[in-house]
Amino acid sequence: MSIVSQAEQILDRVRAAGAEGDLIIDQGEALSLKAKDGALEEHKVTSSQVFGLRVIKDNRVGTAYSEAADGESLVALVDQALLNASYAAVEAHEKILANALKLETQDAQLSPSDQATVAEKIELALTIEARLAAKPMVKNVPYNGVQDSVGERRVYSTTGLEARSKARMMHCYAYALIESGDKNAMEGIGQAARRFVELDPDRLVDQAYQNTFDILQGAAIPSGKYDVIFDEEILPSLFNVFSMMFSGKSAKDGVNPMRDKLGEEIAGSKLTVRDLPLDTDGFGYALFDDEGTPAQALCLIKEGALSSLIHNSMTASYFNSASTGHGTRGPRSTLGVGLHQLEIDAGTADDAALHAGAYLVVTDLTGLHSGANPISGEFSFGASGYLCRDGVRVQPVRGITVAGNFYELLKRIALIGSVQHWNWARSAKMPSIRFADLSVSG
Amino acid sequence: MLQVTKAEDVIDHGLSLGADFAELFVERSLTNAISTLSSQVQSVESGIDFGIGVRLVFGSKVLYGYTNKTEAEELKRIMGELAAMDLRDPRVSLQAFDYSAPVEHHPAHRILSADADVDSKVAYLMAADAAARASSNLISQTRGACRQKEQRIEIFNSEGLHTTDARNYVRATLTAIASDGQDQATGMWSDGGLLGWEIKEQVDPKKTGDEAARQALVNLRAKACPSGRMPVVIGNGFGGVIFHEACGHLLETTSVAKKASVFHDKMGEMIANEAVSAVDDGTMANEWGSINIDDEGMQTQNTQLIKDGRLTSFLVDRLGAEQTGFERTGSGRRESYKYAPASRMRNTFIEAGDAEFDDMISSIDRGIYAAQMGGGSVQPGTGEFNFAVTEGYYIENGKIQYPVKAATLISTGPAVLKEISMVGKDFSLACGMCGSVSGAVPTSVGQATLKVDEILVGGQA
Repeated sequence: MSIVSQAEQILDRVRAAGAEGDLIIDQGEALSLKAKDGALEEHKVTSSQVFGLRVIKDNRVGTAYSEAADGESLVALVDQALLNASYAAVEAHEKILANALKLETQDAQLSPSDQATVAEKIELALTIEARLAAKPMVKNVPYNGVQDSVGERRVYSTTGLEARSKARMMHCYAYALIESGDKNAMEGIGQAARRFVELDPDRLVDQAYQNTFDILQGAAIPSGKYDVIFDEEILPSLFNVFSMMFSGKSAKDGVNPMRDKLGEEIAGSKLTVRDLPLDTDGFGYALFDDEGTPAQALCLIKEGALSSLIHNSMTASYFNSASTGHGTRGPRSTLGVGLHQLEIDAGTADDAALHAGAYLVVTDLTGLHSGANPISGEFSFGASGYLCRDGVRVQPVRGITVAGNFYELLKRIALIGSVQHWNWARSAKMPSIRFADLSVSG
Repeated sequence: MLQVTKAEDVIDHGLSLGADFAELFVERSLTNAISTLSSQVQSVESGIDFGIGVRLVFGSKVLYGYTNKTEAEELKRIMGELAAMDLRDPRVSLQAFDYSAPVEHHPAHRILSADADVDSKVAYLMAADAAARASSNLISQTRGACRQKEQRIEIFNSEGLHTTDARNYVRATLTAIASDGQDQATGMWSDGGLLGWEIKEQVDPKKTGDEAARQALVNLRAKACPSGRMPVVIGNGFGGVIFHEACGHLLETTSVAKKASVFHDKMGEMIANEAVSAVDDGTMANEWGSINIDDEGMQTQNTQLIKDGRLTSFLVDRLGAEQTGFERTGSGRRESYKYAPASRMRNTFIEAGDAEFDDMISSIDRGIYAAQMGGGSVQPGTGEFNFAVTEGYYIENGKIQYPVKAATLISTGPAVLKEISMVGKDFSLACGMCGSVSGAVPTSVGQATLKVDEILVGGQA
């Protein structure tokens, strides 16, 4: 039976129970390769499929999922979702959208067919490891790999929605362990592309090696207050950790500290933050959200003032607003909200201004998942990077912590650079931002 | 879950491609998750996970794949794609399957396939919610979660292994948020184990609510944490995450075999203060990190990792045994059929000592008492780790002074192990999820309260 027929049967059973519902079907195929000592250490081939159903009956929401696609399991999927709904509290704001749109991404653009063979991908994995391992002082390359994945999402609803998106991502990464005397260091980098030929192993190896070599002699610096620039890989991670500040869902739940601050100055006036889901250069591109609402550009912070939260149809209804096209729901999860791809407007500071005087460039943060409290904004992370003066690296820095309050940090933006950079995963595009007076412990 | 004849046919096919070893890992898991918010049920979710993991080994090369389908042709197709670059004449023959069921060391009674017990779980979460809110009118919000899982596995391999197991997990958590109109702070308490919902007879929702609220209220009045190198007393239970991050990951052959662990060549050497003895024990009855058999079908063990400061064992899976020469320890684990197994921790802890808590505190002129720890991470190659303090206090002149917030402790595994100078008597375990190469697996961490003589504290003051 085809996927479409299975979806019809599931939604028919939902309708027959007097309920509404939407169904997400995710399918994917992936190849993952890792090399060790000149041979393949891992060669992984996967295919996956999962059905995720949300039903709403009598204003109560229930969800269930199944990776098993036999008829019995799919019947159980519907019955379990309906049973789960019977336990839920009444939620007047969550509805299945009256949306009969037919939406489909362009495969030629987002999921191009690729002629590269498995043998070529294996060769790439072996090449990356071998070239990096051959660099001076490299003890080994413990983490490296080449991955090719294609994911397809279909969303159907009892109201007639038919949405389909499909995207391919090829990426490679490498981390080198360097030893010299009693010093050691491990750093790395990755690359992402839609086509195999766009991956550049030479650049990857050079960057991974340079990142590791440069930090090897790092040492702690005296504790104190420093101006700090988070590099293009770290700054998106920092915003991601505190992305709850934009969440309409968290606002509805009463845990978003920005809930009542729309229109207020929450950051330095130089800062403008947008979510740009239709930027096809990024891997966060989205034509529609997981409710089937068409995605759109949204300004979140305009010149320092909070201009919008992100909403799905439920949080929008709660706040008497409109969905911003940021509904998220995986096959295994309930309705939430999420950003697509964050971009920060370029500022006006040229390199000379941005890099004037003494400052710390942070190139790595550790403990991002554990050292932050998005509700209070407090954070304390392990960090490494470079102490700089007037654009020149003075000293590599390791074994320090940076700590502060992210929401206060946004108000201490000293300068914003004039050039935007994608992070390597191409999920966010931001310029360099110089923050004033961050606490560093060394 | 998979017909024996079909498993035989597929594994035989894998060997016909020239593999030295072939394995099928079949999994069918049921999950149920209840969330509460604002004293109401927010959601009830349930699901079926089903899939088959296929592992082929050619020499030192591991090939892995998975699918949700059960047809022999699909499993053979994946094997064919995996082995396409390694095809050779058959090296070994399939050994006839010899089915054996593991001895059940972790009995579970109120299991998910019998009854999700939603009403009872909701009642538990609501009682915890009520207790938290009754603690103080500063408790502005609570989130409750109760998650139960029944994982059934079946393993076949080319050496004739055929076994099955069932693991039943349950965990209940309450997060409390305190707010004074200006600031917000959180506290959390969690209980869980390798058993069914009968755990509700062992846990007290009032204690859960009280403890979550207490932490939130302490953190609400916490001051900025001092920073710099100083002694730290780390509380029992989840405080054991320090050993998990600082040392446990570095003893997994996943890192050791790659020489990506600073301890890879230290077997038999003193790697810790002699006050430290540490264990990774998968056999503890109904503990969160326990198992009957590992995910390669081997009966699990109690493994002494460090004895009086000396390294005595690594955590060794099948591949790690081949690569390092050490005996397997029943530590091959994976989150699900989507991952090849790797050497992983189970219930990992520093054994109790004989120091008194008051003696640890009074020995410190300026330092931190980290009563509750959050998560952390480690870079095995260098041993550099970090973890978060979620309830901390400033110590001055041998006395606890006031609560502090937002602190991170960073160091390296080899350094901190030598800085542990006092280990107390109040041993306890706590449950957590550990993420690594083979996914997120349930692990317990544990210790008695202990003193680290010097570690870098990252605070704002």
